[in-house]
Amino acid sequence: MAQTSGSVRNIRVFRYDPQQGGQGRFDSYALNIQDETTTTILDVLLRIQREQDATLSFRFACRVNMCGSCGMVINGKEGLACKTNVSHIPQGREITIRPLNHFPVIKDLVVDMEPFFKKYEEALPFFEPRDESCEPAIVRPDSRERQDIGMATDCIACGCCVSSCTMCHYHEGYAGPAALNRAFTLLADKRDGLFGERLDRVLASCYNCRTEFNCTEVCPKGISSTRAIKYIQRLALKHVRRHPVPADAGEAAGVPLTSPADEMDRRTFFQRAGVSLVGICLAMGVAGVATTAFVGPSLVRRPRLWVPVISFSSIPVGEVTTVTMRYEVKDGPYTQQIAEPVHISRAFNEIVCFKASCTHLGCIVKWDAQAGRFRCACHGGAFDRNGNVIAGPPPAPLGRYQFRVDSDRLFVEVS
Amino acid sequence: MIENGSIEYRKPLQWGEHDPHRRENTQIGMWAWLWQRISALAIVVLISLHVTLTYRPLIQLLLLLAVTFHAALGLRVILLDFNIVGVRYQRSLIWGLLGLGLVVMALIWFSIY
Repeated sequence: MAQTSGSVRNIRVFRYDPQQGGQGRFDSYALNIQDETTTTILDVLLRIQREQDATLSFRFACRVNMCGSCGMVINGKEGLACKTNVSHIPQGREITIRPLNHFPVIKDLVVDMEPFFKKYEEALPFFEPRDESCEPAIVRPDSRERQDIGMATDCIACGCCVSSCTMCHYHEGYAGPAALNRAFTLLADKRDGLFGERLDRVLASCYNCRTEFNCTEVCPKGISSTRAIKYIQRLALKHVRRHPVPADAGEAAGVPLTSPADEMDRRTFFQRAGVSLVGICLAMGVAGVATTAFVGPSLVRRPRLWVPVISFSSIPVGEVTTVTMRYEVKDGPYTQQIAEPVHISRAFNEIVCFKASCTHLGCIVKWDAQAGRFRCACHGGAFDRNGNVIAGPPPAPLGRYQFRVDSDRLFVEVS
Repeated sequence: MIENGSIEYRKPLQWGEHDPHRRENTQIGMWAWLWQRISALAIVVLISLHVTLTYRPLIQLLLLLAVTFHAALGLRVILLDFNIVGVRYQRSLIWGLLGLGLVVMALIWFSIY
């Protein structure tokens, strides 16, 4: 978008004067920019400082995306001022520049990066060799571990990821994406000897990551800290730590080097395996006995039960009568009181006892005398007087009970 | 705040504070995180409604919708946690799993009704 006469952009910059204190404010500047595609935000800030306001403060050093000094929030997104071109912000939109989140503001766009580096150091971001050797270590470039680490070592500690992560605000002890990424590059490195201590420190806080992916979106080096943190969380599953080293282990360099492989010798392993095996068998035995005692009786086929329902002569002819049967069922040590409705349809010379359970999903059907049909309230199913489906989703006609009449009592068979 | 000689630091700016363009620059991953939590709350409310006012198709539909949404985004987190899918595809996973979830939801709904 090269324009010969240039375009005027409005720039709002966050200002804070430590002499005055307070909450800070936004100052507006207008700048005529010749070529937006080759002008960076850093250029803009330098021009404002030189041409309009000499009191504007900001950090920068290399101006070629290498040092990480100029991290700031530009129009709501973290980034390096020297890497963000003015053309990245659409024409007509104002440019809003503000310092990084989560760090105390010293002046204008300059923040105190001390908390950032404190978190960084807590993750032991340095390399200690595991084995002493005069030969260089051999790590093939196509090996799994080399590809896992990838370009994560490119971190320039600019602070953009920590600023963009909301969890860094809500959790004081959270190491943050940058520290965890650095820890990851060393944890995945098989030449490193501080695996144990570093893993303990990192596991104390890495579960604060909520997979927001903000860090991945804003990193000027394209590093994904979320990937690093997920890798660390998977390491926790593979290397179960039973005796974690306390967080302030002091001089980690002086601690004798250990690796996960020789934490336990063979005899201890077999002893523990044997005891565990005996324990598991005992547990299974107890569980099996208890399960059989409780579940067994219900698996035995229950004898069918004849339940008295109603006096035969009191059933009106030509109608459908609904009666609630009450009976008891013994189920292992548990006695259940059952109340089940039955629809008795009596025509002149035949009786049908319908089950009240809808054949669709089992809801109770009601007899609607006005419409002359059984209705199910759940999904709108309907059955006619003979139990055949006339509407709705039920796939089959209404079920029927076996019944018999004995000395003027109607009995229905339930199973 | 922190005193360094005569300098008084301003307390840290927080996410979104003095940040007029933060909302429009929120990335899709952040929205997925947020909607996962919102749908969890919606499920709690809808389940309570569902068991007290049973057999209402509208509540059933809303509950199924919330569960599908929450499950789709939850599956995305599981896939990313265990590196079954690389973090490169985190954006595609959102839309892919939501689409899959809607298809499964339609199948479930129309096999009931």
